[in-house]
Parts: sequence; structure tokens; C-alpha cells
Amino acid sequence: MLQLTANPAKALADEPVHIRVTGLPSSQVVTIKASLKDEKGNLFQSKAFYRANEAGEVDLEEAPAFGGDYVGVHPMGLFWSLKPERALRRLLKQDVMNSPFWVTLELYDSVCFQDSTTVLPRASQMVQRWFSGPGVQWQQIQEGRVRGTFFLPSGEGPFPGVVDLFGGIGGLVEFRASLLAAHGFAVLALAYFAYEDLPDKLLEVDLEYFEEAANFLLAHPKVQRPGIGVLSVCKGAEIGLAMACYLKQVVATVCINGPNAITEVPLRYKDLVVAPTGLFPERIQLHISGALRLRHCRGDPRELNRQSVLPVEKARGWILFIVGEKDEFLDGRARAEQALAQLASHGRINGRMLAYPGAGHLIEPPYAPLCYMSWNPGVSLPLLWGGDRVAHAAAQEHAWGEIQKFFRQHLTPAGSKL
Amino acid sequence: MVQLTATPLSALVDEPVHIRATGLTPLQLVVFHASLEDEVGNLFYSLAFYRANEVGEIDLDHAAALGGDYKGVHPMGLFWSLKPEKPVTRLLKRDVMNSPFRVQIKLYDRHLPIEAKTSEAPKASVTLERWYVAPGVTRIPVREGRLRGTLFVPSGEGRFPGVIDMFGASGGLLEFRASLLASRGFASLALAHCGFEDLPPQPEKVDLEYFEEAANFLLKHPKVLGPGIGVVSVCRGAEIGLSMAIHLKQVTATVLINGPNFIFSIPHVYRGQIFKPRPHSIQSISINALGFVEFYHIFDEGGPENSQFCLPIEKAQGPFLFIVGEDDRNVNGKVFAKQATEQLKRHGKNNWTLLSYPGAGHMIEPPYSPLCCVSGIASVCSAIHWGGEVVPHAAAQEHSWKEIQKFLRKHLMPVVASQI
Repeated sequence: MLQLTANPAKALADEPVHIRVTGLPSSQVVTIKASLKDEKGNLFQSKAFYRANEAGEVDLEEAPAFGGDYVGVHPMGLFWSLKPERALRRLLKQDVMNSPFWVTLELYDSVCFQDSTTVLPRASQMVQRWFSGPGVQWQQIQEGRVRGTFFLPSGEGPFPGVVDLFGGIGGLVEFRASLLAAHGFAVLALAYFAYEDLPDKLLEVDLEYFEEAANFLLAHPKVQRPGIGVLSVCKGAEIGLAMACYLKQVVATVCINGPNAITEVPLRYKDLVVAPTGLFPERIQLHISGALRLRHCRGDPRELNRQSVLPVEKARGWILFIVGEKDEFLDGRARAEQALAQLASHGRINGRMLAYPGAGHLIEPPYAPLCYMSWNPGVSLPLLWGGDRVAHAAAQEHAWGEIQKFFRQHLTPAGSKL
Repeated sequence: MVQLTATPLSALVDEPVHIRATGLTPLQLVVFHASLEDEVGNLFYSLAFYRANEVGEIDLDHAAALGGDYKGVHPMGLFWSLKPEKPVTRLLKRDVMNSPFRVQIKLYDRHLPIEAKTSEAPKASVTLERWYVAPGVTRIPVREGRLRGTLFVPSGEGRFPGVIDMFGASGGLLEFRASLLASRGFASLALAHCGFEDLPPQPEKVDLEYFEEAANFLLKHPKVLGPGIGVVSVCRGAEIGLSMAIHLKQVTATVLINGPNFIFSIPHVYRGQIFKPRPHSIQSISINALGFVEFYHIFDEGGPENSQFCLPIEKAQGPFLFIVGEDDRNVNGKVFAKQATEQLKRHGKNNWTLLSYPGAGHMIEPPYSPLCCVSGIASVCSAIHWGGEVVPHAAAQEHSWKEIQKFLRKHLMPVVASQI
């Protein structure tokens, strides 16, 4: 009897799923398709072609795909190769507490590389992908100027506290904070523009706002003292690095694909004002699709205005740079290397880099589909993020583990007990 | 006063244009913006950022673009980097005789515009005509017997080397390359083989006698020089071109662009003999990160048993010019051309040349044609990835076009005449 199974059927979005098909004729070629509708109704799809073994089984943990969205053995390939039906849409979970993403897995006879409304699947199975774990509490934060949501694991605590920052997308992005909380961290997803009563546009980075957020975390009875972590990407990583440099409350900072200088808008912290380094808009490149490739328009590190470069040697805590070498938005590797060289020239050894060949800009938790290019708020053309799918997926899996290890190592009193 | 000049303003599409801007502020940053509307209203656009020199001039023959659609010195970059406003749209000239493509080049201050269209007034602009046919070339629709095609005859006295020009499985009748070849001195027959008038879209067989009729038709024509003719062919057209070279002694020079050394899917027949297609593995179709379908792995499987399907290229008399785009995602042309040339070598034949272009894709067309890396074929798939990277593909088109003409002249014209 033909069966398509996927276990666990209900899991965190960063947990793997074991997909198997049994009861096929021996050596039959089949198509396994995955589809998901996001909260706005956008459809995302992926597919791969497999051949059953002599026993009529396809076990995605062992069987290689021959074609489709990926080739070779990739047990979670159907998840990370999901692509939007309407181009340039990015998959992003909005409501992280009350609903999962529902992924429908379907089995079809032979090779179906074109979608058909008339051909029916032989079997299908749905799996739930949740962005929050059991017992995690969600709390909206409006304390002083601080705007965001706080995810607190269940239990006595104390839990290592982390501020989670996204980039130019603005607003409040919660899915990474909620997933991190499911792994035992107290996480504040922090908004800083285009959200509630915060400014619509980011006109300056007021570091005191971020210090308030750090102090809010540290004041919480269930948050580990004496220091917190920061998990940040892109523009958020520029802010995260600034927090590491200037705020003693910050003892462990993860900067994903971010600059090592203040860019576009000035940074202000008490009496200090740091001017941004200029952009080179004439170096904007257009991809053949019309999307903007911005990697080169920030200049290379030697062209940075010296005053804008962040004084990483002042950071008291630990810094982990995570970079995708196929990032088409920013050359994160060059920037991280410059920051590490700056640390070394001051005799500091508190920085480290994880560089992933083949990974793009949007390095997210495991199994998130590669978003190669997408629309972005405030920009009239799509932006190119880059990345090679298989390598990007592997980078996401590896980086997520490293991020948690890094925070546990530096934020818990047991130190390197992982 | 800002001036934008382009010379020549009206030219064949395979001719370069010299573009210059003068009267700018020294070291000023500007945007060159090119746009074109095709015959059905699709907009194509490109742009590049340049900096004026100390005397306020930019000469695209020497100046390096700083960004935009290309970087560096590329005098024709604005043409070959034209992109469709509507994705997955191919730039194709339908009426080659009566109208050119009109390309507008506009100069703006650096901040504008990145988009396809803008309502801002440019500092200067110029409109160019890009023709697919030279003055004096005659276009003759051909409906003789079974033949369906269009013959283009160069202007002038005397006879011209004859060429049959064939495209691939998308079918129909594409005339633009034949009209350009005629503009370069070849009597060119754009020959349809499927999906055109009474030719079915997916024929059951490829009857080589149809192509023999075409060869004979050409050779009988009063403006065609004999004793042999050439073939210029791409993809499925090149599959047919190879069969023609093998079986028809009328064919004495064959250009094969990104084609197989076996039969893809529809059997060939010639005077009672049947030549079977090689089996393919459809499960090896790949889909890239943007959802575009790549077919180039479907003939990867199998080993020595596939040799029975290799066409007997050693039986052909005439010389071959193989043209391969190494980034072709539709046909694994590099592997097939290598197999074909090795088969020729094994039989002691060395009358072939292989031009293999890194970074070029499947759609290698005449110079300055924009790279079409994705488009649909109605009966097959809505978004086929053809491959290619913009800059190396452009270079491959420029180089291969000259080589194609040199090859055809060398082998189709008596030695005395070919002094080009």
C-alpha cells in the first residue's frame, strides 16, 4: 500500500523532518512536491524527482534526487528549495505564536516538472512548522522608548538574554527571536524604525535607544546577568557591532553580513556623533532581471571614511562575524576581515569569523528557503541577495548551531559548558 | 552645451556604434540610458554610470563604466545589456525588411534613473536605427513544393554562396539571422522545419529529403554560387544540420551552434533509413533558484551503450565549425561537440574547428543582441533557462559571428574570390 510519511508531523521550523515513501513499484520514478501558502496567500513550491529502490521505497535521508530543485541526498531539500510562485516574494512568518506554516507534501507518478491542475497526487501529507516552542511566553514591550516583543522560555531561569535585530526591512521581525527562545534564550525582538511610534524612516542610529533595550533585558528577573547577547543581520549587524563597541552590557555579539562602519545615517551615543561613510551609487549594478546588486556600491574597506569605522578594539565582549561569500548585497567577508585585523592590531583576540562559501546575504535559521532576490520596503526595484541554494542551506544549518553555542559559551556562568 | 553623438545613426544590427558625450562638467557622473520598444510593445532598457574626463567628455570606446548593467570599457554594452521590463521576454525582430529597431540613448545626471522608464527630461538624447537587412537585399518568400522559408539575396551582380539557416525546436520561421547573412554577402534561406504554416509543431519524423529539396532549391537559384551550400544552425536546427552534412553531398560547410551529436527526440529518415533518437532521462531536469527549468542534464546518463546513437559524423565530407556556449543550461553542447570532434579525430578527419566560449549560454546570436537567458516555448515549458553571463556572452557573439562568416567564405567561395 502506497504511503507517504513525514515525521515529526509537527515540529519547530528549525527541526528536520524525515520523509519516506513506501509501497511503490520497484524502481519507479516519482515526483515529491512541497507547497506552502504564507499568511498573505502567496504560494511557495518545490519539487524533486526520485527513483524508488527495489523494495519500492524512497527514504529522503538516503535516496538521491535526480532532478528538480536539487540533486543528490538532501533530506530537507524540499523545504529549503521552496520558491515563490509570484516572483520576488520573501517567505517570512508574521504570527509566530498562534499558527505554524502548513507544508503540504505530495507524491506524483513519474516526472512532473510542469504544474498541472488535472493530475492528482497519489499520496499527500501535511506537516506543521512552528516558530515558537511549547511554554514560551510572548510579551509585547512598550517600556520607555523600547518597542518590540519579548520571548521568555518556560521555567525558573535565569536564561541568557539576547537582543535580536533585523535590517533595512524595518518593522518588527519576530521569527528568529521566537525560534531562539525555543532553545532556552530570553530574546527581545527589537524594532527601531517603521513600527508603532518609532520613526518611519531611519534618520539616525540613537545608540541610547539600544542601550535602553539592553537594560530592559538585564533588569528582567529571569534574564542572566551581567551581560546580554546581540543577534543581528545587515543594518542590524552594523548596530549590533556598535553596541558591542560602546555598551558594556553587551558581552556577546553575532553580526551576520553587516558593515564594520557606520553607513548611510549617523550614529549618536550621548555626546558622540559618528558620521556615516559615503555610498558610491554609480557602482550600483543591475542584474539581468533588473534587480539591484549593491555589493560594490559601498566601496571596498580601504575606501571607508576612517571616522566612520567602528572602534571594535573598544568592545569588551566577544564578537562572532558570520558571512556569506556569495552575498550580492554586501561584501561581508571583507568587512569582517577588516574588523578582525583592527582587533589584532590592538592585540585583541575576542573576534572570530565563520565564512560560508556559496551562502548569500539572507542567512536565516535552518531550512528557510533561499531568498535570492526580493522586493524590499522603500526600494522601487528588487534587491539581489545572492547565494547558491545547496551551500546556503548547509550554511544556515551550521551557523544556527554555532550561534547557540556562542551565546551559551559567553552568556552563561558555566562558560564553555555547551 | 551637452551633446550626445552616436555614429553611425543608422546601421546594421551587427555593426558597432561609437557613442560620445561632450560638454559635460569635468569629472561629472552621468547615466547613459538605452531603451527600445519591440514590435509588440515590450520595453527593453539598459543603463550604465560613467564619469566625464577632465575636459567633460565621455567616449564609450575608451571610458570605463563604473556600474549599472556592466562595468569597464564596453563600447556596445548599452545594446547587449538591454533587459526586458517584463521578465522572461525575448527580443526578436519579426519584420526584418521594413523597419529597424529604434534604440533611444539618453543622458541623465547621475541620480537618475535606474528604472525602465522615467518622466525626467534627459540632458541629451539620440535615436539610433538598428537594421536587420542592408539596402538592396531582396526578400523572397519560398513556397516551392514542400519548402517553407524565406530566401534573402544580397544586392549586386553575380552569384553568392548559398546558406541554409535553421533555428531550433521553438519552430516558426525566424528570419533575422538569414537577413543579416545576406547583408554580409550570402544568399541565405531561412528554412522552417516545424510549427510553421502546414508544418506540424511536433512532427513525427525529420525527413531529410525535405532538407535535400531545400539544398537543391538553393543550388538551382540563378543568384547562388555552387557547387555546394553551407548550413548555419542552432540547437535542434544543428541536430538537423549535422544529419544534412552526413547524408547530403550538397552540404559543403556546416556551422553547428550548441547542438547534439545525436538525435534529441524525433527520428530522422533518409531514403528508407531510419535514425533513432537517443533515450533521455527526464528526471534529470533541474529547476534553478528562480524557478527556471534546465534541461542540460537529461542526456547525462548512460555510458558506452549511447555510442550507438552518435551520428556518423565521419561520413560527412564537408568541414565543420562547432560553436559552444559553456554555460548553456539547455543543451550540454560542450560535451557533445567534444564527442563529435573525437569521433572525427578517430577517423583521421581534421577538417573541423571548435570554438568554445566560457560564460556564453545557449542563445548565441549575432553581435550586440541582448542575452536572452530565460524564455518560454509554448509546447514545452514557460520558463526555460538558456544560461549565459551577460559580458562573456556578448564577447562570444561578437567573436563567433566573424568566425562564422570567415568559415563560410573560406569553404563556399573559390579561393580567388575570398580576399576578405
